[in-house]
Amino acid sequence: MTSVDVRIGTPGPRPTPPTRRRSRASWHARANGVVLAWLALAGVAALAHGRLPAPEWLLIHVFLLGAVTNAIVTWTEHFAIALLRHSEPAQWVRPVRLAALNTGVVSVLYGATHGPIQVGIAGAAIVVGVIGWHVGILAVWSRRALGGRFAHVVAWYICAGAALITGGTLGGLMLAGWPPRVSTMRLEAAHIHVNLLGWIGLAVLGTLFTLWPTVLRTQMADGSGAIARRSLRLAVPGLAVTVGGFLGGARWVAVAGLLLYAAAAALALVPFLRTARRRRPHTPAAWMLAAGTAWFVVAVLTDLSVVATRAADQVAHGIEPLVPFILVGFVGQTLLGALTFLLPVVLGGGPAALKRNAALLERGWIIRLALVNVAVPLIALPVPGRVSQFAWAAVLAALGAFVLLATVTVARARGPRVSPTAGGVTVGVLATAVAVAVALSGGTGVTAQNSAQRTAQLGAGVQTVEVTLVGMRFSPGKIEAAPGTRLVLRVTNRDAQQHDLRLATGQQTPMLGPGQTATLELPPLTGPIDGWCTVPGHRAAGMTMRIEVKGAAGSGPATGSNPMDHMDQMDHAAAGPLNLAAPMSTGWRPYDATLRPAPGGTEHKIEIRAVQKEIEVAPGVRQRMWTFGGTVPGPVLRGKVGDVFTVTLINDDTMGHGIDFHAGSLAPDVPMRTIQPGERLTYRFRAEHAGAWLYHCSTMPMLQHIANGMYGAVIIDPPKLAKVDREYVLVQGELYLGQPGSTAQVAKMHDGRPDAWMFNGTAAGYDHAPLTARPGERVRVWVVAAGPASGTAFHIVGAQFDTVYKEGAYLLRPGDGGGSQVLDLAAAQGGFVETVFPEPGHYPFVDHDMRHGEAGAHGIFEVTR
Amino acid sequence: MTWWSVIRFLHVTTAALWVGGQLTVSLVVLPLARRLLETDQRARVLREVGRRFGMFTGAFFLPVQISSGIAMALHKGVTWESLTYPGYGRTLAAKLLLFVLVMVAAALHGWANGRGMAMFARSMAIASLVGSVGIVLLATALPVT
Repeated sequence: MTSVDVRIGTPGPRPTPPTRRRSRASWHARANGVVLAWLALAGVAALAHGRLPAPEWLLIHVFLLGAVTNAIVTWTEHFAIALLRHSEPAQWVRPVRLAALNTGVVSVLYGATHGPIQVGIAGAAIVVGVIGWHVGILAVWSRRALGGRFAHVVAWYICAGAALITGGTLGGLMLAGWPPRVSTMRLEAAHIHVNLLGWIGLAVLGTLFTLWPTVLRTQMADGSGAIARRSLRLAVPGLAVTVGGFLGGARWVAVAGLLLYAAAAALALVPFLRTARRRRPHTPAAWMLAAGTAWFVVAVLTDLSVVATRAADQVAHGIEPLVPFILVGFVGQTLLGALTFLLPVVLGGGPAALKRNAALLERGWIIRLALVNVAVPLIALPVPGRVSQFAWAAVLAALGAFVLLATVTVARARGPRVSPTAGGVTVGVLATAVAVAVALSGGTGVTAQNSAQRTAQLGAGVQTVEVTLVGMRFSPGKIEAAPGTRLVLRVTNRDAQQHDLRLATGQQTPMLGPGQTATLELPPLTGPIDGWCTVPGHRAAGMTMRIEVKGAAGSGPATGSNPMDHMDQMDHAAAGPLNLAAPMSTGWRPYDATLRPAPGGTEHKIEIRAVQKEIEVAPGVRQRMWTFGGTVPGPVLRGKVGDVFTVTLINDDTMGHGIDFHAGSLAPDVPMRTIQPGERLTYRFRAEHAGAWLYHCSTMPMLQHIANGMYGAVIIDPPKLAKVDREYVLVQGELYLGQPGSTAQVAKMHDGRPDAWMFNGTAAGYDHAPLTARPGERVRVWVVAAGPASGTAFHIVGAQFDTVYKEGAYLLRPGDGGGSQVLDLAAAQGGFVETVFPEPGHYPFVDHDMRHGEAGAHGIFEVTR
Repeated sequence: MTWWSVIRFLHVTTAALWVGGQLTVSLVVLPLARRLLETDQRARVLREVGRRFGMFTGAFFLPVQISSGIAMALHKGVTWESLTYPGYGRTLAAKLLLFVLVMVAAALHGWANGRGMAMFARSMAIASLVGSVGIVLLATALPVT
């Protein structure tokens, strides 16, 4: 018989009124719909995680707390009713329990990852309460039960529930960061063990006593009942000792407990093996359950070896790599195997429907089974990244296929069909939503990667922060957490060279090679902690981070200082060292370096407005600049010797500005004079001489006006200037971050300590938007050094100049036979160089004064065919 | 205006024709055919419309879109690894993912039509259409480069 209820050995199904049957099917459709939804979410969480997952907290809990816990509650109740021959509970009980449990689960997931930690703790309390209620009911039923040969199985469920109550409480305590003196790692080890081996392990082992023979369509092995009772009596104390051992930090106690549990599991699996020997697995469900159970055995043995070889505080770290393997191999396969068998049974609808549903759920099962079981060891073993990605893709594909098939099965049983239009729209919208979630994961690529600006803000309790080392920076560069928070830093080196993280508390990660990860567990936070990389030179190069107590920083202005300067120091501190490797913000456009030929005619009219504008001056860094025309540098003017320029300056700013065109010669006190806000002034000058000329604001203090961005270039072509394939203009300037005109900013100007150097107003901007050329093309680059303090030693890496024109004269022309490597310009000088790129490639152009070149005076020529 | 503009033009135009064609068939042709034509004639017309549009899709729209897309990705220096980076990479990866899903839905539509599962076929056609609009959404969300 295909035991419709799991009632082995009871001859013939108990007659059930049809209405109850329908209500049971509808209940199971709903409850398992929730399980399937959580499974689908787990798949989405794995995908959205980005790098195919090293499973993280959220993913693990979506799967275990969402899908698996719901399934265990639903099915243990179902089996208890069947085995104890109890009547179904009152109609309101199940929906209320389902709603409460899932409210708790959602609260835990949300509270622990995003929300106030209290929400997470409350969620854990709700979950524990619901399970307490559930097993309480089971306990009452089993006491009242009139017998039933398999009533002992319910005891396994009650013990499993007790395990979850323990494990959930431990989880809640970890969220709350309590008790303060117990290591989180011990709590975590106990939490992982009691939930995986207790809540899931006991529920599964208990169920297998009856489910396994049912799936194999055979009688239960003799003596199963006695074995079930005896093994439970071993497993529970074993688990209790294990948990106690972890909490007390006693490794060997934990090992002893685990040995006891392993012995109990081995005993409990004796009937499993006997049954399998009598009747070989021959159905998809049987194979999945067999595979799941096999991985359970492997998991327990591996776990034993991990626990035996590590101090109690290190066990959690040792187990973490095993968790995905246990999740997929044991828990996932067992759950999917059980559902494959049980769903068609409980959804009912008569023998034909049962057959059809089973056939649907079993579609492609051999491929799915093979994929998952090939993938499981690959997930656990240290294989190359590509292989492990393949393994995860295989697992997710198998999961997705099952969820799809099961959803169709459940939807078919639920009755009223949706219209094809609504169904199609829903499927399309869901697919789009998944894709959008993938697109948005990891942020826009700006905030997530810009370590200089990135600040992690955290609530209290235990918080794990992913710290990434990349581009000689820590990301996040600053962590804020509430006082008393116990931080766990998971440090991953994603740079091409070695780094580590040392904290002022003395804690330190080992030296990490590229791709390696280490974890630092901090004591409860009481004050700010600085961190840095100990590789020589890296700290000075800006590889520093800071952990701050939330609410302590910025709680009032520093005493006795002018508020503006205080703010400025804060700005500066917040800005920190620049991360030039970070991406530019979305929407940023480079200053167009292309130099267009001089317009026709000998008169050029132009209007320039002096305005303040916030500009992205370095990747992710915005600074209020004083500008000519809203850009740094201001508009480029170009003409020939003898041309007349008529420039109207309009002052739209709130302070006075003027303009000084080096390309013309005028009396400084009349046309070059400062005009006040709202005024306009027209300049007229005749370009008497060729050259790459600077123009800049002529208002005192000029140091500040130039340093804040008020400069530009005037290009007057030398006579008979040869035509070239491409012409670019680069105006090099210095960048001083901070409130423009503030004491701190101006002090940096006086000391000649810019925060960065910029070509055309953005530090390293052309690293992100390379200038282009083709091999064999002649490229002319005009360079003007705006200063205000430093000049430039302009160089293109990988190229030589055959033409150099500096300050009105050719230093080198093609055919002279010589070559040039650098165009050297003092502040306010200009010139051009010409080169022909020999082959495709990326040619960096730099100020070869490396202090400047490595601090933003850097860009790239992208030479492609 | 370079050759890359032409390739981009082909990519965008075929996408517009493909999505627009689906919309036209779903919103204009099918409702009118259902309303105005006799049953047997309607079935023939719809089948022919589907076949013809499928032919254009398979023979022209998809090859042009896929090849121009790959060419532009190569030109832009997109690598497999860069598809995992947040921002441009992931948006592009999501767009490709959705494209695959839409292709699966379209394939299911054809398969179901062949087996006479009209309702399922219709829902898959609509899913494919909605997903195609989603692809356009993601294309517009690709950060400007």
